[in-house]
Amino acid sequence: MDRVRFLELLVSRLLRTGVMVSGLLMVMGLGLLWATGDASCPSGVLSVGWVLFGDPFLEPSHVLFLGFFILIGTPLLRIVASATAHLVERDLVFALLNVSVLLILVVSFVLGVG
Amino acid sequence: MAVYWVIFGCFLVEGLFYAVFFKISRLSALLQRVIWFKGAPRGMQLLFTLYALTIALGSGFLGALLGLGGGVIMVPLMVFLLGVPIHIASGASIVAVVATSSAAASVYVRDEVTNMRLGMFLELATTLGALTGASFMAMAAESLLKTVFGLSLIYASTVMWYQLRNNRRSWVNKPNDWLAERLSLDGSYYDEARGEQISYGVTRTLNTFGVSYVAGVVSGLLGIGGGGIKVPAMNVVSSVPMKVAVATSNFMIGVTAAASAMVYIRHGFCDGFLTAPVVLGTLVGSYIGARVTGRLRGMFLKRVFVAVLLLLGLRMIASGVGL
Repeated sequence: MDRVRFLELLVSRLLRTGVMVSGLLMVMGLGLLWATGDASCPSGVLSVGWVLFGDPFLEPSHVLFLGFFILIGTPLLRIVASATAHLVERDLVFALLNVSVLLILVVSFVLGVG
Repeated sequence: MAVYWVIFGCFLVEGLFYAVFFKISRLSALLQRVIWFKGAPRGMQLLFTLYALTIALGSGFLGALLGLGGGVIMVPLMVFLLGVPIHIASGASIVAVVATSSAAASVYVRDEVTNMRLGMFLELATTLGALTGASFMAMAAESLLKTVFGLSLIYASTVMWYQLRNNRRSWVNKPNDWLAERLSLDGSYYDEARGEQISYGVTRTLNTFGVSYVAGVVSGLLGIGGGGIKVPAMNVVSSVPMKVAVATSNFMIGVTAAASAMVYIRHGFCDGFLTAPVVLGTLVGSYIGARVTGRLRGMFLKRVFVAVLLLLGLRMIASGVGL
């Protein structure tokens, strides 16, 4: 398979998988929320730790937010994947482009602006 | 001539829309008070979820079709129709924009419509811009900014409309300029509507890079996707076919939206009961939209885009001057 096509299929499948997994989690979370009648969706400032690990783990609203988190992570994972692919192919300019985009995102997140 | 009808039709729909929804919004404000608190009747909660799902379905479809995030369509609908507070609506829509982008891009990339190299190159500009914009957010005069942004959208739509009158296709084939040649940004895709393989070059790459940077600044300042600027930048400045511009814009939007979505979630502006149905609806809508785009003519897409851009511009100005 030619290298461009390989990257395209990699990105396309990655995006689709991320979307499907997060969609499934959201359906489950919403269903659980409905079934348990638990309306205690979290509000206020959330910690990254809560989104990742929950308290308790995998309670209905946590399943829901795990879905959001995976969805948001999908485009970022796509950049990581294409950076790696470009690096393997020795396409250094584009590997550098991807890495710097990732760095900018990290910086903006750490600074907490936006 | 047809383009006048499209624009006229859009105004008509928009007018009807406001006429109906302003009445409903009073009703829904009532509904809202019941639903937003615990212990609301199940039927009402279900109705609310269904409303949110429908709105999201429509804006996901349009978002995928036109390369916009869909947030600009979704947020006013949620505020007016469902009576949701605006920051909660924005929180839901920014997560939904990530969904539009990922779902649509997975189709466009697989079908080889997206120009991934161009997208990755311009991503640098938009993320840099978003960082700049977000840093200066506190100092920005939002009303002035909205007005200027609205004017630039109207300008872009006028230029595209002018091009439509003079050309028979949605783009003019131009060779790569030196930078595009250096980065090999040219591409080709199979146009389903025309039934032929179409090759294109990318001109004035640096200009498009600059415009994308500005789009990033605006999206950082106002918390919007900025697809309304990216698509004209690629199509008008760099002379990229309309479908490729739409697909590539979709590809890029997810990254900037993901960065903003993190911030929204952390600040607790992301209500699970609203966001989940909105995201699910958007996923389905944008998946359908991305499949439909291939069968449409670039010219048709461009016409619809011109009309939608004009409406968005007017609405942006209206909200800028405080209407």
